Amino acid sequence: MNIQSLRKQVSNKSGARARVTQAMFSEFKARLIPNGPHEEFRLPELESLAKIENVRLSYDIKDYKRDCPFLIVTIETEEEAERLIKRSILTRNIYELWGMGENYEQVHEQVKEKPGRWARYEHKSFKFTVSAFGATCSSDHQVHIINSFSYLGFKGDISLKNPQVQFGVLEDYGLDPYLPAPPPNPHTIYFGRLIASGNRDLINKYNLKKRSYIGNTSMDAELSLVMANQALATAGKLIYDPFVGTGSFLFTCAHHGAYTMGSDIDGRQIRGQASKSVKSNVEQYNLHGKVLDTLVFDICHHPWRENLWFDAIVTDPPYGVRAGAKTLGRKDPSKKPLVPKLIDGIPAHKREDYYPPTKPYEMSEVLVDLLEFSARYLVIGGRLVYWLPTIVDEYSSADIPEHPCMKLISNSEQNFGQWSRRLVTMEKFKENLKGEHATVNAKSFDYSLLASQKKDESREGETDSDKQNNDEKKPGHYLFREKYFSFKSGEKAKRQETWIRFKNKEKGDGNPSDVPSSSTNQ
Amino acid sequence: MLQCHARGCNTNNFPLELSEVEIQVLETDYNPQFLRNMIPKLDWNALVVTAKKVGITAVPDVLPETMNEDIDENFLRNLHRILLETHVQQGKMTCPNCKHVYSIRDGIPNMLLNDEA
Repeated sequence: MNIQSLRKQVSNKSGARARVTQAMFSEFKARLIPNGPHEEFRLPELESLAKIENVRLSYDIKDYKRDCPFLIVTIETEEEAERLIKRSILTRNIYELWGMGENYEQVHEQVKEKPGRWARYEHKSFKFTVSAFGATCSSDHQVHIINSFSYLGFKGDISLKNPQVQFGVLEDYGLDPYLPAPPPNPHTIYFGRLIASGNRDLINKYNLKKRSYIGNTSMDAELSLVMANQALATAGKLIYDPFVGTGSFLFTCAHHGAYTMGSDIDGRQIRGQASKSVKSNVEQYNLHGKVLDTLVFDICHHPWRENLWFDAIVTDPPYGVRAGAKTLGRKDPSKKPLVPKLIDGIPAHKREDYYPPTKPYEMSEVLVDLLEFSARYLVIGGRLVYWLPTIVDEYSSADIPEHPCMKLISNSEQNFGQWSRRLVTMEKFKENLKGEHATVNAKSFDYSLLASQKKDESREGETDSDKQNNDEKKPGHYLFREKYFSFKSGEKAKRQETWIRFKNKEKGDGNPSDVPSSSTNQ
Repeated sequence: MLQCHARGCNTNNFPLELSEVEIQVLETDYNPQFLRNMIPKLDWNALVVTAKKVGITAVPDVLPETMNEDIDENFLRNLHRILLETHVQQGKMTCPNCKHVYSIRDGIPNMLLNDEA
């Protein structure tokens, strides 16, 4: 009970009971980890699911609070509610709301208003649960609560394993960080009949700990699954990941029936070792026929024939911490200084396993290229779902790159302290016209200029603070790698190392995904 | 997976020509809706030429006119076989224009361009 936190809200305000619509509330899942990492993701996911399942979903946005896992939504039918939630990762349960209030008297009063609703379940086997958010509730308390509902008069058997119907009491004590202990009484109580549960079992199925082949940049199962939902992955769609790495998104999107393809500049990650590769994962999840192809090429210089191939692009661009973003070495004449060394390998480039030289690929360039690519190759209505790393202090919402053809659907932050990553979902809503290009900060941002500036800086070995000053007007992800590592300097070094050691330990437990994938190992 | 829409370095370089191929056929679920979506995106001639290169002649040279609901089931099945069940495990793809050779190993085409490309 202490692991789950919940939130909800009401649709039918008191008095407006005349409508046929059923008030539902769905129980959102949040974590007890400080800064519960996924709370910004819940609502966008629910919206995406409503779109996938074509469910008319309404709720009052004012009722949604980050630190409360309950939300009251209005849905026309029970069947729709089931469909809405069946592949949900971040919404745990959906209930038909029978009563809610600040205390049990109010709840009982509302429940008693509609006795007709109980009668249907009189002879069904049932189960009653009591759970609390922001506090623990003792089993004595639970029994006491359950008994207080005895007026419902259910005559069916109590079945804990396979009940025909389940009822839930949810107590919300709130999460006030300034209180030494949870308040003695919940501020809101909800009672309802369980309609359906989300599909959090999938997280276990795609758990990285159990995956045969992973890399240090594989995305954790939960977020990969959320991304598949954000991408509206459904049967028959074609979804592409241009920085496929070890393929995390291919599997979760394919799980929902989409055909998936991936490419990466580094074929070594795709091929893996003898028996461990993207292919072995496909076999493990029995997804062959859905994960179509993985190819090796540089997204800056890709071989796609001009066409609206993709229904969605789901990716985690490399941001240079675990793995550096790379592009092929000689593509850009402005980077000439790097070139001469690269030609030495000529005899080698005829070999089958030859990999051409690569050069660093600045994060902000990656994003602009990604957006340009999406605008060109997505179908209308197709989505681009990607991670944007940012420095928390420097971030502003204007940092999200824009494109005239793409509209922002959602932008959810996962905070890691000084830096964070944001899951950005965009949708292509109109034809891509020639001459329309991705931009940042509303005005066109000259990335090539920045790129050369960056090189100068690093060559002259400027100090971090100089760099910070120069960066004033640049987006919060610009030179992300340098900034990320500069956190380590000075007094912070120690703390940072402890933190990383802690994370590595987590990783040792099999969760190597705190930093997302990329195209090339360093 | 046999693909028909890769492109080489500059222009006039499609389709890539397959050679020395090793084919594997893996059965998979049939999804007519996906195929219908794909048909307008395909360059039919390129697909036919490529399919013949690897010894498949089950698709008509000319795309059937009726592209609606009454599309021939048999035709879709054949297309399914080619697009989704035929995998080129090993082989080479040659650009008809510049003769650049891309190799396919373990079913993964390597489309990287070398220094001189």
